[in-house]
Amino acid sequence: MARSNYEYPGYERDGATYWTKTAVLYAVVTAGALWMTLPFWWTITSAFSANPTSAEVTFVPAEFTVQNFLELWNRDNIPLVRWFINTIIFAGAVTIFNLVFDSLAGYALAKVDFWGRDKLFLAFISTMMIPGMITLIPVYLILVELGWTNTYQGLILPMAASPFGIFLLRQHFKSLPSSLGDAAKIDGCGEFRTFYHVYLPLAKPALAALGIFTFMGAWNNFEWPVIVMTETQNFTLPVALFAVRNQYFAETGLMMAVALIIVAPVIIAFLSAQKYFIRGMSLSGMKG
Amino acid sequence: MAYESEADERTTTESGTSGLAGAKRRLGITEDQSNLAGLLFVAPNVAVFSVFLLGPVLYAFYLAFTEYSMLTHESTWVGLDNFWTVLTPWPWENGFEPLRDPGANTWWFSLRNTAIYAIGTVPLQIYGGLAIALMLDKRVRAKSAYRAAYFMPVMLSGAASAVIWRWLLADNGIINEFLSPLGLAHNWAGDPNTALGAIMLLAIWGGIGFNMILFLAGLQNVPQELYEASRIDGASAWQRFRHVTWPNLGNTNFFVIVMAIIGAFQVFGIALVFEEGGPYYATTTAVLRIYQRAFEENYFGEGAAMAMILFAIIFAFSYWQYRYRKSEEVDY
Repeated sequence: MARSNYEYPGYERDGATYWTKTAVLYAVVTAGALWMTLPFWWTITSAFSANPTSAEVTFVPAEFTVQNFLELWNRDNIPLVRWFINTIIFAGAVTIFNLVFDSLAGYALAKVDFWGRDKLFLAFISTMMIPGMITLIPVYLILVELGWTNTYQGLILPMAASPFGIFLLRQHFKSLPSSLGDAAKIDGCGEFRTFYHVYLPLAKPALAALGIFTFMGAWNNFEWPVIVMTETQNFTLPVALFAVRNQYFAETGLMMAVALIIVAPVIIAFLSAQKYFIRGMSLSGMKG
Repeated sequence: MAYESEADERTTTESGTSGLAGAKRRLGITEDQSNLAGLLFVAPNVAVFSVFLLGPVLYAFYLAFTEYSMLTHESTWVGLDNFWTVLTPWPWENGFEPLRDPGANTWWFSLRNTAIYAIGTVPLQIYGGLAIALMLDKRVRAKSAYRAAYFMPVMLSGAASAVIWRWLLADNGIINEFLSPLGLAHNWAGDPNTALGAIMLLAIWGGIGFNMILFLAGLQNVPQELYEASRIDGASAWQRFRHVTWPNLGNTNFFVIVMAIIGAFQVFGIALVFEEGGPYYATTTAVLRIYQRAFEENYFGEGAAMAMILFAIIFAFSYWQYRYRKSEEVDY
């Protein structure tokens, strides 16, 4: 089926106007695309030059060197490996909790007929309207009371469930036929086995999309870890980048190397699974 | 029938189904079993939301009227004092001094910064995103490469994009390398007059691709036969956009605008990393001010009061958008 609305009969493809319009169109989208991508290029050139000045890294690194990365590795007050592990644990645990909790709840809200279900769903959805900044202070004080600041559980548990994840998976389970579950129950499956063996495998695409976004969101998250983790060895990478930026602002190469360590995995993952990311993002956009 | 025997009923102890009541009866599933199963399934989420979301929202209301001591971990009731401290002097006092001088009232000054930031970024993010989506939806070749280029900044951590742009816009940075031959080199991040603009630039950079994706998805839902019909009726490109594309993007529009406004009012990470709210509070946004007051200066009560005020503003905007959208809805 023709997507473009220029492909209908009667549309003129010839003539000077058409070519001018096309040229302007390409000029505009290309200029925009350069604005979007050049900062990435400059991050790379700066990270791979020894203490770069702007003129040296404008197009290609003056001298290609991995010195900044060695420096990060060797400096005593930069526990790079620890930061990396912290970030993996944080992002990984948040993702697993969200997938487990949200798929359980999403399934029950879609397929189990229990008392107060629709009201509960509405309550979950309404929490999406609560701006995150309002809970920052009270949640932090709760963590202080529990002695959970600067701990993994304090970092992870408040992020263990998301109303958006519940919504996404509930919609997905709802789109699957109920007859599958009925058949499983006739064969003697309980509710959990019906969920685990029949419906969960069918929800893999939705789980993958949610998993990618949750992991990426936690990997990139700065606002929450910067409040909970205040000791250097507990930082996640974005918080560590902030600390490096404050302490070593003059050493641009070092700073950009940390930035690249955060950015590179995400961009590589995105470029290798572009369709998936974009589909997931439009799904998430349609939640309103 | 076999599955109505007692032996089989045991295997369906915690059952329930969204199927017909008759089917349930035949399967031997009782209402209690469904209730139990459902509640067990949602229990982890209910627990997390109660402890870390709903409880804290109520706690935040309480905190706004108290002063919390980090030493004793106790809060004392102070009534409206926090609101009073935060809100006075009022912005119109002394010839609108609090809006010009952060020293007079930092909260009003940070709200002013947030308002400038929102007005500057939201329309550009949204209509920029829409413009790119419209351009890419037409006859551009290598559409997916362009789409990827515009989307890449969205994948970035706010902390990373702030650090990258802080370097690009530094006094000796790459942007000035291009601008100095034109005589336009400037210390963008160090000058209180341009620092907020610099943050807006990086926010637009990071946000435009997200809206582009939403609009590209929205454009897929515009019925193609409407374009055909309007073409036959001799509608111009602008008329087609105004009367076919635009009304049919209604839902996307509403969602995108509300999300962008809520996001703009809550911006804080990029401002903190970029220049820590400086120079001289020029980039201190409302939530950054809350962060400074609560987590750096340990006035949690005042922070909670500011959060309440900001919450009221965000709520008012969302509600206004909702009402506005109702009046704009179209039918065919």
